[in-house]
Amino acid sequence: MKITKLFQKTVFGIIALFGLIGISTSVLSINAVDSHLFREYESNSKGNARTIANSSVDIILNRDLSTLQSLIDQFVGNEGISYIYITNESGEFLAHTFVPGIPQSIIDSDVTKTDTVQRTIRGMGDFVEVASPILAGVAGAVHIGMDLKSVSMKIQAAIGAQVYLIAIVFFIGIFAAIWFVNFASKPIEMLQSYAVDLAKHEPVDQEKYRKLLERKDEAGDLARLYQYFSTVSDPNKLGEPSGTPSA
Amino acid sequence: MGSKLLGQASHLEGVSDTEIVLGTSAAFRGPSRGLGIELYRGSMAYFSHINEQGGLFGRNIVLKLYDDGYQPDPAVTNTTRLMVEDDVFALFGYVGTPTVTRVLPLLKKFQDRKFMLMFPFTGAQPQREFPYGDFAFNLRASYRQETEGLVDNFVGIGRDRIGVFYQADAYGRSGWEGVRNALAKYNLNIVGEATYRRGTKFTSNLRDQVEILKASQPKAIVCIGAYAACAAFLRDAIDRELQVPIANVSFVGSENLLKLIDDSQENSGDYTKFLVNSQVVPSYTDDTLPGVVEYDSFMEQYAPEVPVEFDDEQYATFDRSFVSLEGFLNAKLMTEILRRVGPSPTRADLESAVFSINEFDLGIGESVSFSANRRQGLDRVYYTVVQDGVFVPLRDWKGSFT
Repeated sequence: MKITKLFQKTVFGIIALFGLIGISTSVLSINAVDSHLFREYESNSKGNARTIANSSVDIILNRDLSTLQSLIDQFVGNEGISYIYITNESGEFLAHTFVPGIPQSIIDSDVTKTDTVQRTIRGMGDFVEVASPILAGVAGAVHIGMDLKSVSMKIQAAIGAQVYLIAIVFFIGIFAAIWFVNFASKPIEMLQSYAVDLAKHEPVDQEKYRKLLERKDEAGDLARLYQYFSTVSDPNKLGEPSGTPSA
Repeated sequence: MGSKLLGQASHLEGVSDTEIVLGTSAAFRGPSRGLGIELYRGSMAYFSHINEQGGLFGRNIVLKLYDDGYQPDPAVTNTTRLMVEDDVFALFGYVGTPTVTRVLPLLKKFQDRKFMLMFPFTGAQPQREFPYGDFAFNLRASYRQETEGLVDNFVGIGRDRIGVFYQADAYGRSGWEGVRNALAKYNLNIVGEATYRRGTKFTSNLRDQVEILKASQPKAIVCIGAYAACAAFLRDAIDRELQVPIANVSFVGSENLLKLIDDSQENSGDYTKFLVNSQVVPSYTDDTLPGVVEYDSFMEQYAPEVPVEFDDEQYATFDRSFVSLEGFLNAKLMTEILRRVGPSPTRADLESAVFSINEFDLGIGESVSFSANRRQGLDRVYYTVVQDGVFVPLRDWKGSFT
């Protein structure tokens, strides 16, 4: 695709503009998706913790820990949830999903607290742990650990999808701009060619330029003007026909 | 006309002129298939006998089987199919706590159709207590009773530092809770605990679990698991010199566990000398019990095979086992209940027929009774150790483990 010199700068300008839009949109989108999704995962996990906490009350009061275990088993693996444990009001572990055992760092921590904390568990990875009290804390608490690596992988995948889309729009935009510029520059190229042919003072193939001469736009007007100029011997004496152009 | 309508109505509840259909979802494939298959074989030994005698009121007792691989989700799907599509008379011969625990809400959902879960192979509490206790009848003793017995005996011989190795699910938690509550009677706590994932195979490495428990310096360990994982744990524990009594509850499938150890270890006696398994049925070698003699005879006569649809020829059945004896006793009691339901059985009559069982003799030295307040038939727990390659009754805890 040949681009006229006249429009090369325009094309470069368009690319620069699209690039700027693409990059700034990507940056904004990455930030928005990153913080939004992380908050959403955290919020979902808190919601799950609240759901389990609310569902656990009767089960704990009925002292049926196998049903409690069955309940939490159904949540593990959902939305980046890596582990769940439930403690009673004195911090005893009533149910959990750890294999091969409860990590020492969790045993050593104050499990009666329900603040959101970041944990590094040896051999398991980095986690954000949310918690929800059961019966306002008097019956214990539900703790849910989200794998940071898994969450960030999901966020990166979402960001990747956004950037991918922006990149596609960017390239389609550039190709469209080049095509449009090329489309717009074609009559000018033809006009230039026509003017050069006329300047040679040789018989011009009018059929070749028929479409140009029939155009209703500025290019057609200019072409017809050039044709007219070519028919006068002295362009300074417009309106005085000189008969046929000299051969 | 009346009988036709009755026939049609009965057919809708798993009963036709020639059959009464019970529905089963159990592990017939996967690492725990030995439990589902042996339980089924024991039941079929008795049902085959009844069917050969002309059935019950002219109807053969038929089991409609589905495999759940000991996984909760397939168990729920299978049970829905048994209730909605197959419209079986009752659910019978289920295996496992994580599966049964998830199935129980379905019984409540379809409570207007009066489905009952009969004699599941699990000692967990959910089907014994509110809110699902009214939808199930149990024959076997509970895990609470088994673990309490184990703890009482261990504490009684001075082994009061008890660790727990358990399956990370509802079954494991049920046993863990039993040990915890039993220790609480003595103001003791579980000294250490380690878990494994359901479906763990014998070839798995369980050394991490062994090290966790070893660090807590236990004097005994109670395992709440299935045979493949518990055999692997026993192997790794002995290999890493964690030489304390290692107990399993009845669900483990004692013969399958022993076979894995025997097949893989040259000196299997070194591995089994610390092993003690609780059982909820008497020893199948106890020929003083008429129920056991009958079981022995029927197993030999009918030689029940692996269900043909699940027979991949890789599973070698056992001539006798605790699990198949339990299946046999389940079937014997189920047959008696169906007899009491009468010649025109409906699900609505099932519960009252069960309640009519009072001091019923299964031939194992412990009678069975049910009532509105008693939905578990047996309470006795038996303890066994390995001697000459078979499980035999444990008579002397002190002599064996001190």
